[in-house]
Amino acid sequence: MVLEILVAVIVVSSIGTGLAALLSICEHFLANYGPCQININDERNITVKGGKDLLSMLVAEKIFIPSACGGRGTCGLCKLKVLEGAGPLLPTEEPYLEKDERESNIRLACQVKVRNDLSIDIPPELFAAREYICKCAEIADLTHDIKQFRFELVEPKEIDYIPGQYLQLLTPVYKKGGEEVYRAYSISSDPSEKHNIETIIRLVPGGICTTYCFEYLKVGDEVRINGPYGDFRLSETDAPIVFIAGGSGMAPIKCILHYMKNTANNRKATYYFGANKVNELFLLDQMKEFESDLADFRFVPVVAGPGENENWDGEVGLVTEAVRRDLANASEYEAYLCGSPGMIDAAIKVLAELGMKEERIFFDKFE
Amino acid sequence: MKESPQTRKLEQILRSSKLVAGGFMGDDSRSFNEVIYADASQVSKLGYTMEEIAARMQEITDTAKTGLGNWIKVDDKLQAVADEAKGSLICPWPHSGRYVKRITTVQRYNSGETIRWSELNIHLIAEHGFFEGRGAAFRIEPVKLINVIF
Repeated sequence: MVLEILVAVIVVSSIGTGLAALLSICEHFLANYGPCQININDERNITVKGGKDLLSMLVAEKIFIPSACGGRGTCGLCKLKVLEGAGPLLPTEEPYLEKDERESNIRLACQVKVRNDLSIDIPPELFAAREYICKCAEIADLTHDIKQFRFELVEPKEIDYIPGQYLQLLTPVYKKGGEEVYRAYSISSDPSEKHNIETIIRLVPGGICTTYCFEYLKVGDEVRINGPYGDFRLSETDAPIVFIAGGSGMAPIKCILHYMKNTANNRKATYYFGANKVNELFLLDQMKEFESDLADFRFVPVVAGPGENENWDGEVGLVTEAVRRDLANASEYEAYLCGSPGMIDAAIKVLAELGMKEERIFFDKFE
Repeated sequence: MKESPQTRKLEQILRSSKLVAGGFMGDDSRSFNEVIYADASQVSKLGYTMEEIAARMQEITDTAKTGLGNWIKVDDKLQAVADEAKGSLICPWPHSGRYVKRITTVQRYNSGETIRWSELNIHLIAEHGFFEGRGAAFRIEPVKLINVIF
């Protein structure tokens, strides 16, 4: 009896293995889609060998679409418009697409297989994104869980970006990280320094990229980034500015402040920076420098719960409460926010109560 | 008992570093089913259910969120802080499940005992009874968790 069951199991397993092997061979030899044309923005045609996903084919052509998960369909970032040839929407795409996006033919590039000619639309600014090989030049501790990283550009040697934009950092395979992934970090450097790029990163426990950056990345190591991406930027108006950002959210604000200094921008600006404890405030000297160098800039650190021995005589409480205390009427202001969805939602609520219209609020949400 | 291919695949995903650094199983040599069984026994012995634990964790997280990244009083026993980071965490089980990268840290006023969890932990406990393997970055010891949050 036992022998019969064993034989049956072996026979069934062998048939299954044989069929799987046959399918694999068939796919290799028969599923040959030949050369496929990808028409981009009705301006450019690229010819690729069909069979792979659209995202990897665009990357092979040095067209970088933001993606954090390495094409596994888990981040939902690689959205683009596929006008023709994509086939039906896949169940793996559905959770990431809103109704209006589906109706506009938005797809996840990593899930669309190129099996025939395609016609796609890519935002023109993405053509400016490219890959940069860098050397890690400096790692500075800002707080117990925030570091500033400076990367020296090796190839190409210069980068241009709009202050407020972000880059994607490639995490290579390492002991605690099973495969390559990209993660997005806002640029914090002075945009006039084109040979270097800086970013501020907060350690996320268990995070694949931040664990790599904090525990494995060393000065002198090669680093690969791509970008720049994003539409968070300073408007060209003269409206007075409210910046609100805590923790690593300081990165794009610092970059914008460098830009304001470089361009002798005279706009009135106040930066409310929230921290839990006094020892979580950082780059205070840099902010003081901005206060001296910019025409009308004020840095307002706000500490939620200063310790008894910390001798803190500045603003206390939530950063949004400090804004409310300081601004009676925000209707003429513009706001630039960077941080967690919770902080941004709370700030938007307070600013709206202070009379600021929605179209004057710009934000870079951590999501 | 012989493992199904689905169970084997899930075990591989849980042990890999594809979704979180170091994986969900850490250096635990037990199978994930053994981990779930052992933790369920402990929870049951203490008279709680997974649903009660997850609901209390969610309640604490919801309160902590209002602190905008700062410590906030939950009740007379607890304070908590919720930190958010860019990106999302994916449930390793074969269903669609994507959770914001929000980490709640909870501390008891009287003992100073601290414990932390992510949004994904709450889902893993509620839906899969999984507290992660020993040595994983977000392993939660059920006994300690119950002692801290209730």
